[in-house]
Amino acid sequence: MVYIGHPSVALAIVGGDSWEITTGMGPHLSHLEDESLILQIKEGKHQAFVEIVNRHARRFYSIAYRLVFNKDEAEDIVQEAFLKLWDKPELWDQSRHVKFTTWFYKVVTNLCIDHNKKKKPLPLSDNLPIRDEQPQQDALLDHQQKQALLDNLIQELPERQQLAINLCFYEGLSNKEAAEVMGVKIKVLQSLIMRAKTALKEKVKRYLD
Amino acid sequence: MDTKQFKENLLLYGADVHRWPEEIRNAGLEALENSSELRFLVNEEARLERILKNRRYEEPSPHLEDRIISAALRLKKSPTLSLGTFLSELLAEFKLPKPAWVAISILMIGFAIGFLDPMDSTPGEQEQINLQAFLYYEEEIP
Repeated sequence: MVYIGHPSVALAIVGGDSWEITTGMGPHLSHLEDESLILQIKEGKHQAFVEIVNRHARRFYSIAYRLVFNKDEAEDIVQEAFLKLWDKPELWDQSRHVKFTTWFYKVVTNLCIDHNKKKKPLPLSDNLPIRDEQPQQDALLDHQQKQALLDNLIQELPERQQLAINLCFYEGLSNKEAAEVMGVKIKVLQSLIMRAKTALKEKVKRYLD
Repeated sequence: MDTKQFKENLLLYGADVHRWPEEIRNAGLEALENSSELRFLVNEEARLERILKNRRYEEPSPHLEDRIISAALRLKKSPTLSLGTFLSELLAEFKLPKPAWVAISILMIGFAIGFLDPMDSTPGEQEQINLQAFLYYEEEIP
């Protein structure tokens, strides 16, 4: 992108084919990559922070919700993560060449894991009725109950398997990205996904099929 | 691609073989076409995925972003120790018109030149001689 003219009203040539007029002292923030916005946040520019929050808050809420299973707690965690970013943006180290979103997934998931450790564990599916014992169970379970049951089955998985399945299956991250977020090798991540899915398959057959 | 490899890839990349990584996609599709067992496994996997996709999800409140942004405004930001930031904050603090800043700058440069001008300063040795002349001045004071 090239800027021509006075910086307060500049003609921006985007990709050589299109152009637009921007106002202010520089390019419009929505055109900047996350990493450039973080550099501006490091200079204390609140508008850059506003842009990054508007761009990503919902995405990070999604992973937080899937890890803590509670809307209010997930919102609190996302807020805490963004406030950390605002207060100490230098924590994101540009020289490591890690994408902002990868790094921030790590921040949010670590907060969720810490949060879950402090929380009282929910009752697990040991207490749930097994399909074979009650043939008419399917008819009795309504949609919400099935969803709650599914939450329980996922919660029963070991922490790292849960994280792997959430990042790859629900958030749509590639295996490579998810491995970076979790700080493991790609083979380890793949093994975690396979074990998680195999376990879930059995549990779903047992309780939900 | 043998059955074992296919099963692994099915767990890793999901029931939609068309969305598998490019380097294994064609081999996967070929294996699928030639095996009813693999087609059964794909259907099983698709069924599991449908159930998993039904997982409960609550949308965040519509004001989530506003809440975070106002909380950040209330938060006292740690000071950054950059000279540029310090100067820009200093300038922003004193909201003077540009001509005033130019005048002040010229004045400051004038002071600096005045203090640094070697022609105007008295060398230490000369100063000592003058002091001696003053102390041992023998003529009468009118």
